[in-house]
Amino acid sequence: MEPKAIKVWEENAVPKHRIQWCPGCGDFGVLAALKQALVELEITPHELVLVGGIGCSGNIRNYLNGNAFHGTHGGPLAYALGIKMANPHLQVICLAGDGDTFAIGVENFVHTCRRDPDMVLLVMNNGVYGLTKGQDSPTAGLGKSVEVWSEEHPPMVDPVLLALASEATFVAQSFSGDVKHTARMIVEAFQHPGFAFINDFSPCVTYNKFNTYEWFREHVEPVPPDHDPSDRDAAWRLVRDFARRGKIPLGVIYRNPRPRAEARRLPVWEGELADVDVEPILATFR
Amino acid sequence: MSGRANRVKVLVGGVQLRDGVSTVTEILGRIFTRAGLFAVAMERGYASTIYGAHQYDPILVADQPPLSYGDPVYDVLVALEYDSNPDAPEQPNRDTVLRHGPNLRDGGILLYDSSTGEIPTESLRARGVKVFPVPARKIALTELKREIVKNIIMTGALFRLLGFDGDFTHLRQLLEERFGRKGRDVVELNLRAAQRGREAVERVLAEQGYTLEVRLEPRPRGRRAVYISGNDCLGIGAIQGGVRFYAGYPITPASGILEFMERWLPRYGGRVLQGQNERESIRAAIGASLAGVRAMVGSSGPGISLKVEEFGVIGATETPVIIVDAQRAGPSTGMPTRPEQGDLNLVTGGAHGDIPRIVLAPSTVEECYTLMLEACELADKYQCPVFFLTDLNLSEGRKTVPEDLFAQRPPIRRHGILREEEVRGRPYRRYEVTPSGISPRVLPGTPGVVFKSSGVEHDEFGFVTIDPRKRAAQMDKRMRKLETYLREDAKPPYVFGETRGNPVMVGWGNTRPVLQEAREILLRRGIPVALVHFTHIYPLPKHLVEPLFADAGPVVVVEQNYSGQFADLLQRELLIRTRRVLKYNGIPLYPTEVADAVQRALRQEGAVVRIGSPEPVKVEVGGDGAEGH
Repeated sequence: MEPKAIKVWEENAVPKHRIQWCPGCGDFGVLAALKQALVELEITPHELVLVGGIGCSGNIRNYLNGNAFHGTHGGPLAYALGIKMANPHLQVICLAGDGDTFAIGVENFVHTCRRDPDMVLLVMNNGVYGLTKGQDSPTAGLGKSVEVWSEEHPPMVDPVLLALASEATFVAQSFSGDVKHTARMIVEAFQHPGFAFINDFSPCVTYNKFNTYEWFREHVEPVPPDHDPSDRDAAWRLVRDFARRGKIPLGVIYRNPRPRAEARRLPVWEGELADVDVEPILATFR
Repeated sequence: MSGRANRVKVLVGGVQLRDGVSTVTEILGRIFTRAGLFAVAMERGYASTIYGAHQYDPILVADQPPLSYGDPVYDVLVALEYDSNPDAPEQPNRDTVLRHGPNLRDGGILLYDSSTGEIPTESLRARGVKVFPVPARKIALTELKREIVKNIIMTGALFRLLGFDGDFTHLRQLLEERFGRKGRDVVELNLRAAQRGREAVERVLAEQGYTLEVRLEPRPRGRRAVYISGNDCLGIGAIQGGVRFYAGYPITPASGILEFMERWLPRYGGRVLQGQNERESIRAAIGASLAGVRAMVGSSGPGISLKVEEFGVIGATETPVIIVDAQRAGPSTGMPTRPEQGDLNLVTGGAHGDIPRIVLAPSTVEECYTLMLEACELADKYQCPVFFLTDLNLSEGRKTVPEDLFAQRPPIRRHGILREEEVRGRPYRRYEVTPSGISPRVLPGTPGVVFKSSGVEHDEFGFVTIDPRKRAAQMDKRMRKLETYLREDAKPPYVFGETRGNPVMVGWGNTRPVLQEAREILLRRGIPVALVHFTHIYPLPKHLVEPLFADAGPVVVVEQNYSGQFADLLQRELLIRTRRVLKYNGIPLYPTEVADAVQRALRQEGAVVRIGSPEPVKVEVGGDGAEGH
């Protein structure tokens, strides 16, 4: 990648030495992959809106050029929906964590999959709440064998299955230790017309001592080349078969765009708002 | 009646969903309005059930605009039930007559559907009430073969009783517009039904030898008028005010706004989102606003509670959003179909930490329009949440409003949005510290510039900071908006009468018409009370208000909640003592009871008078969701 092009994405961002991630954090890989993907996509920073989640993952919005918004825990998808409904010309990506998306934000996740707005959700999934010092998230327990579950420790949420069940139209999985592949997934997600969800495994080197880079390298496997991502049944089968073998598929697991209604930018400026005739409304109240 | 020939208050009652109570009052309101009269139906009596509970809808009509919907004293009761209580066959039409009979004035009129037999009305007759049994449903089923026209039979009967629309000119016109597409015979069938109602009344008049003193005369009106609800008015205000994104989650009584917007906003280039929950709604509105669209959400107490965390986001990220709270009785789910002014503390204080916010409360249906135009400008200008507090009666109640109201439309000004040429070539600070507290914003997509916006405490550029100086600077900057608002945009309260040396009645929001009428009653009783009524609630324009109370007599705050939330605000801001008149039983305030209560409150320093009216109605409330008057 051309370093000059990458530089565009380093302007208007917090400089490297102030990044608040632990050394070795998986999110560095995501940041690098994002920059590569954005260069490849030839997006300009002013047309990009980065909607951050709460947590380590959400901070990525500050480390990258582009417009950024950051609100409540569990909220990024709904803010992004509003942005996209108001102005479909903007490129919108939500950068959220697993707690953000699958605990407090799970209702937004399910319904955003159904709504299928034309935007990208990249979840930096590490199975823990890092910023609050390592509590379990809903995706905690990946690859761990547990004999008896309890109310305190229910089975983990599989983001891919949840997305498929929620009628998502693009579901991909990546591992931030593989920057090149992650960048590829981001590019494909942006190119997908509709809601594109990437579950990115981004190791927490401080609190998740089990799902380490080494662990992931041993357990991930690319989606086989003969997999037909437009086949929903095949997607289910793929996830199930991998799980049975104790493996994690990386790549596009499901991709099946829906027909989309054309959307226009909503009126914003004085001139666009001035020409209002409420006579048709009044006629209904006479 | 009541001394004025061209002023009648009619209560229409029946079984919810089955009897079409609101269909009848809607027809009445529209026809009266078209006839040049003024109709007010602002007390909505229904229950949070779909089917079967008692529903009532009082409508006041007069040749001059009535000040308020008045006291619960009716000239005419129209009971649409024919067998509302099948277990007590001797008492059909039980609910409307039993519940509201005591509020029918002596010498008034009872019109009821006698399809399942006549009801005992001796006690009413003893009070001089003229009783008109009309077997509307029976006539509809047996003669006209269409049950649905039973309400038109009752409407025809009512018009005869009111000496109104004798040749059905107005009714015919309305029917033709409504049913013209369905064919001539539908219109004719309905007119025949109305005629049958009229004939039934003639028969009773001949048998009983009653004479009718009421006569509603149509009046020519120079200007056109609409019969419209507060929700619809604020919807028109929002569209005229430039709102092009609306999000809501169904909730009584704010759903009307969602329905209005779904129908109309797309025609003006806007979009409407029925959120999957209250939080998605307000978050999407924040997103749309961030993208530059004037955005609004609407909800009621329980939904507003769920939105509270986003108040902070709006305040901290400085994103303009208009939040309509159509209040209903709380706490928790409370009484979904009953009015209250109980959310003031929630909207003035909701959110952790401090945020700048503006709270407005319209006092009439008309103000739902005019004040909404103001709300749109204020949100844009101050980049903060602007709350718009209506309540169930104001939101859903209907009223005759002259159409020229909607011609009032100040030009829309997009405040503080920087365009490409204004930002090019200089570092852009989204949260620049300015004397006014307002930092110009750019919209995403503006070439050559990006912004960083965050609810996390940030520096001028929008980057996270915990630097104490920067934190204080941002906090000061944000809250400084309110000083600018108080200086430039806050409006003084309405003042009726002279506050100096006199007792002062204080109110806020939708109660103004009732308080004005209560004041007139007090004046007639020789109590020289002044009325100060607030629409611009928070931050309170102290500099405009303090002089009003400086040399005033005792201050009585009248409001519809348990604790006196506005009285608390007033005491805190002005350091004055208040007496309180409070009503929170789910029934709106009435002028005479307010006058009585204020009179009682004036007798004692620090008095709290709780109104528990109305007394006369004694109907057991069943477990079926039916509710007392």
